[in-house]
Amino acid sequence: MQFVYPRSSDTTLTAVLLWIVLILLNGTAACAETLPQASTLDELIAMFDSSGCKECHKEIYEQWEKSHHSRSLMGIDDQALLPSVLKRIAKPGVPLEQRVTRDFPCFKCHFPQAKYGSDEVAREIAVVSLKKDKATLRKLNIGCLVCHGDKALVHGRPEKGVLYGTKDIPDHEGRPVKKSPLLKNSLLCGQCHGLGPVLDSPDMPVQCATLYGSYLHAYIPSGGTKTCQECHMKGGSHYMPPDFNNRDDLSARLRESLPMEVRTLAYTFHPDGGKFFPMVVVKTKITSRAGHRIPDG
Amino acid sequence: MTAKSPDGKKIFQTSRIYASQATDSRSTQMVLGPENKLGFIRDTSIQPFAPKEDTIEVPLPEDLRDALIEVSLSYRPRPGNVYPIHYVKRKVSLDQ
Repeated sequence: MQFVYPRSSDTTLTAVLLWIVLILLNGTAACAETLPQASTLDELIAMFDSSGCKECHKEIYEQWEKSHHSRSLMGIDDQALLPSVLKRIAKPGVPLEQRVTRDFPCFKCHFPQAKYGSDEVAREIAVVSLKKDKATLRKLNIGCLVCHGDKALVHGRPEKGVLYGTKDIPDHEGRPVKKSPLLKNSLLCGQCHGLGPVLDSPDMPVQCATLYGSYLHAYIPSGGTKTCQECHMKGGSHYMPPDFNNRDDLSARLRESLPMEVRTLAYTFHPDGGKFFPMVVVKTKITSRAGHRIPDG
Repeated sequence: MTAKSPDGKKIFQTSRIYASQATDSRSTQMVLGPENKLGFIRDTSIQPFAPKEDTIEVPLPEDLRDALIEVSLSYRPRPGNVYPIHYVKRKVSLDQ
């Protein structure tokens, strides 16, 4: 057996080629990880505009339009959520409207598509929030393309131009639909209706939603078997109650989830030698039919 | 929970708060609002499969044989924002 060593010039050429290949591969990997960036808020809104879905999925779209997901940066009675956050993250010498995306830990769940926008988009959102421009704030939402896109997969990244649903629909108008393993799974909701503290931002560590943690650590260990969707998306409804703006509906929902029993006893109490006094004992029992602690979010 | 005399005068009142309670993890003072909370220190919320039971003893004035008991349960996501859930009214009497 004879080993043939490459000549010096061959070695150099091989090394150069190898470097070129490595650089190209590295570039490809970097491109695969690079998210498309909208440079303006209008551009980002257009990227995630779900209004086209309404044409064929009118009923579902109208249910969603009434839900809190359709106004995820607005709270009870359409109160803008961000002004209080902006005050909280204020830095001396930096105008509030100069905030950048990473300053808003709330975006992670309240406007997850913000990761597809530049810092300029974050600044525009800050301005819109400070002006309490509700018409624009309403366009910043958890629309169809959020849950049927990024949120529909946790194992790997969603494919470009693909929607995710409960089954494969290759000839779906507009974009093909692939089956997501998550859409009927509580983990879909758990991605945002969270586990506990969110420590992503050192300027604003928060503990917004803890509901999924309660589901995992209280409901499931106690023998619960239902998914979030079974109670909050009955019949596939995208209204997804509770709706805090529909006061009667929320009261009725809580009444059903939390039956309360009251028992009373009136008697003359005789605790000691010559002591007698009238007493009423009131016993209350509240049972929960929910899959998580109440209250939670 | 409120107890009233037959003429409507309030003679006893108490309340319970069922909620997870948090500080901002920088002091022992409880805070409200998701933007301020960081770490639960106590949790009296209503848990799944775990009935929440309370016993309230209401001593009545000596001359009273009847009372009106009112028990209400409401949901308050923010101070001042109240969603009624239950309201139970009972007349009780020591006379058989």
